[in-house]
Amino acid sequence: MSVHVFDTMGTVVSLRTPAGPLDDAALESIEDVFRSFDRRFSLYDERSPLSRIARGDLALTAADAVVRETYALALDWRTRTDGAFTPHRPDGVVDLSGVVKALAMHDAGTELDRHSPDWLLTVGGDVLGRGSTDGSAWRVGVVDPDARDRLLGTATLSGTRRALATSGVAERGQHIWRRGPETFVQVTVAADDVVTADVIATAITAGDLEDLDRLTASADVDVVAVLADGTLRATPGARAWVGR
Amino acid sequence: MTTTVESHPRATLRPPPAQQVAADAAVRRRNRRRRSAVVDLLTILVWVSAAIAVALYLASPGAHDLSGTAGIVTSLGIVAGLVATDLVLIMLVLAARVPLIDRVFGQDRAIAVHRSLGKPVLYLILVHGLLITIGYGLADGSSPIGETISLFTTVDDMPLAYLGLGLFITVVVTSLVAIRRKLPYEAWHAIHLLSYAAVAVALPHQLSVGSAFADGTWQRVYWVTLYVVVLAAVVVYRFALPILLSYRHRILVREVETIAPGVVSIHLSGRNLDRLGVEGGQYGIWRFWTAKTWWHAHPVSFSAVPGTDSARITVRDLGAGSRRLGRIRPGARVSLEGPYGLFTARARTAPYLAMVASGIGITPVRSMLEDATLRPGEATVLLRGSDADQQYLWAEVGALAHRSGSELFAMVGPRPSGVDAWQSADDFRRGVTLGSTFPHLMESDLYICGPQVWADLVARDARRAGVPEHQIHQERFES
Amino acid sequence: MRSRALAGGVVASAAVLTLGWQIGAAQVSALNAASPVTNSAGSGSTSSGSATTAPSPSASSSSGSSSSGSSSESSSGSSSSGSSGSSGLSGSSSSASVSGTFDGATTQTQFGPVQVEIVVSSGKITDVKALQLTNDGGRSVQISNQAAPILRSEALTAQSASIQSVSGATYTSQGYMTSLQSAIDQAGL
Repeated sequence: MSVHVFDTMGTVVSLRTPAGPLDDAALESIEDVFRSFDRRFSLYDERSPLSRIARGDLALTAADAVVRETYALALDWRTRTDGAFTPHRPDGVVDLSGVVKALAMHDAGTELDRHSPDWLLTVGGDVLGRGSTDGSAWRVGVVDPDARDRLLGTATLSGTRRALATSGVAERGQHIWRRGPETFVQVTVAADDVVTADVIATAITAGDLEDLDRLTASADVDVVAVLADGTLRATPGARAWVGR
Repeated sequence: MTTTVESHPRATLRPPPAQQVAADAAVRRRNRRRRSAVVDLLTILVWVSAAIAVALYLASPGAHDLSGTAGIVTSLGIVAGLVATDLVLIMLVLAARVPLIDRVFGQDRAIAVHRSLGKPVLYLILVHGLLITIGYGLADGSSPIGETISLFTTVDDMPLAYLGLGLFITVVVTSLVAIRRKLPYEAWHAIHLLSYAAVAVALPHQLSVGSAFADGTWQRVYWVTLYVVVLAAVVVYRFALPILLSYRHRILVREVETIAPGVVSIHLSGRNLDRLGVEGGQYGIWRFWTAKTWWHAHPVSFSAVPGTDSARITVRDLGAGSRRLGRIRPGARVSLEGPYGLFTARARTAPYLAMVASGIGITPVRSMLEDATLRPGEATVLLRGSDADQQYLWAEVGALAHRSGSELFAMVGPRPSGVDAWQSADDFRRGVTLGSTFPHLMESDLYICGPQVWADLVARDARRAGVPEHQIHQERFES
Repeated sequence: MRSRALAGGVVASAAVLTLGWQIGAAQVSALNAASPVTNSAGSGSTSSGSATTAPSPSASSSSGSSSSGSSSESSSGSSSSGSSGSSGLSGSSSSASVSGTFDGATTQTQFGPVQVEIVVSSGKITDVKALQLTNDGGRSVQISNQAAPILRSEALTAQSASIQSVSGATYTSQGYMTSLQSAIDQAGL
């Protein structure tokens, strides 16, 4: 097992390849994917197009195609989640961080496919994988929100279920804005693609039990949710993760 | 045209013994009380049936778990739908010619109520669809249009429900006075029959989509029973009994006699016609089985009380359909629904009888006069015609009046222009009124039959003169 | 006379409506009185009920799917008083012998009454099914993917699980230092 770790987008990326390290050019191309997303979408870098949009220096319509497409995609997710997910902060500022990380992972995954049949990409708590390790499926622990050093259970990435994303309020990123009183502490979502997993996890965390039911009914996802009262809820596909 | 008030010498025959008058009056009072009690009971039943429809929903747990605006809006929609359906079923009953309703209330009034319910029911159905769509939409976060599409495409039985809605709209819209007038009766009637289809196709979604009628609940049993009872009433009274009746009595046209321009008496033969139980003043709904007339049923009064093997009806050509009746050949088969109507002695409430008839409205007056048991001086008849052509059957009425010791007046001439009056222009100018014509107006049952506008004017004058409502009897013929 | 009919109609209708409302309210309170959801077999640490009082497996996996109206849905299961599956099911529970299918009480949802059925095998919940009793509107959400309450198994320590990655709430570069991910990255797992 080879592990490559690097810093980007304000968090840490861990890349595993069971068959040994990728060559430097490949690693460089993967890091490039994240760097180019960071350049466009960082709100910490005041020169990024998104920072300029936030300040009002740049019209969204005048931004480059990638920014506009990303915004359009985020809007599409807002519709699909009935507003539970939104690309705007309550103060109106366009905030695409909710989808940018997942999009970057998605693109990096496409790039990785060109270099290796088996890989696992972990970025700040979201996971995307392909293939297997030593003949068995990738296993991903789900953090217990009450004790960060322990696990709630273990999910496996197999078949088309390649992505796992967790959203929570314990280390609340600024991309989660709640719509009402807190119902969930942490929501973990498995989906076929990482953008869906990430957005649904964010949307459920921001919502309530009704949102949970609606989103699990309308999207092809497996969900484990930890409620504020400490109880668990799991969809049928996710019960094996925690019900042991 | 000269106006004549034919003053037969005032029938100052022996006044009836006071005892008998009192006894008759007591019987009529009792009958009237009984009738109005039944009518009140039926009215209460209508209220209660609507309340039960709502209660069915209230009794389901879903009504107690309203979450937010969406829940409330949806609930109101459900209630509107339930009440609407209940009222539609009541409309069917009112149009089903149920004998009890006809006896105590009169089929014509039942139809009037039926008609008055049409628009409110349509509004309720529209509100039902609208509120439920909005309510579901709110719950799902989708627009009413999107919700409509998803209801239509994804929910079983909803396409049928929308079909029902479309049919109801069609039926009610074609029955609006303005539109109905432009339609041939046959077209209107054919469309109107679609209401049975509308009621039928609306049922599946109530049972499968509505939470109030979940499988295995008593609510479902009640609702289905209600449907079955109503449809059974329609099938039995509207279709089966008339067919049986027609088959049993084998009625045929014997002769068609033109008695005035555009007015024909149709003489009928049949078996045991006296057992039809026709009371003087009643009408039947007739269908003549010839190539050109079979699809149109006509409400026509008996112009004579049927004998054992003969009957007579008299009809004026009011429309294309009834004009064709004049050309029916003897031997044509006839089917009959009826007899119906409360324009009979049975409905009387007062010691004296006053009858006013105009034009073809003379027919029920004639048969009623023939049928009634009258003491001399008890009845007074006023015949009204706009010209000499309208004096058909007057001679017969004169003979009957003479025989029963009733007084007869005639008033011929057009109504005054510019004034709403039922009298002829001359008599109006001379100050002839109901009061001056009928000696005991306030103690009389006033039977009015004639063209609607004219009859309404007579009734208006009677009310103004202070005749109590229950003493005014009017048959409304425009079905 | 009309006023008599009107008054009678109004009074009778009011009575009927009240009666209907009472029936509905009685049903709802009966439904609520029955304990809401599943967790039957747990001799959970919070519930005082001992495992021996856990219900015997009901032969009825055929829960009344047509009985939305009647109020006695809490057929066999639901002995524990936990309201939403909060009691912990410890692996070493003495309820290990309990197996079978248990039906929870009926709960009202906006989609109509729903009943939860759990399948317990040797004291472990192996399946949770939401049975929809009535279909309010053909509007059945695909309730089969509903996230149902589930008991929390004993938390694993990172060491005891063979994992290659950790999914948790987003952390920053600093957060990474103290994260499990960092640990397993260093371990080269």
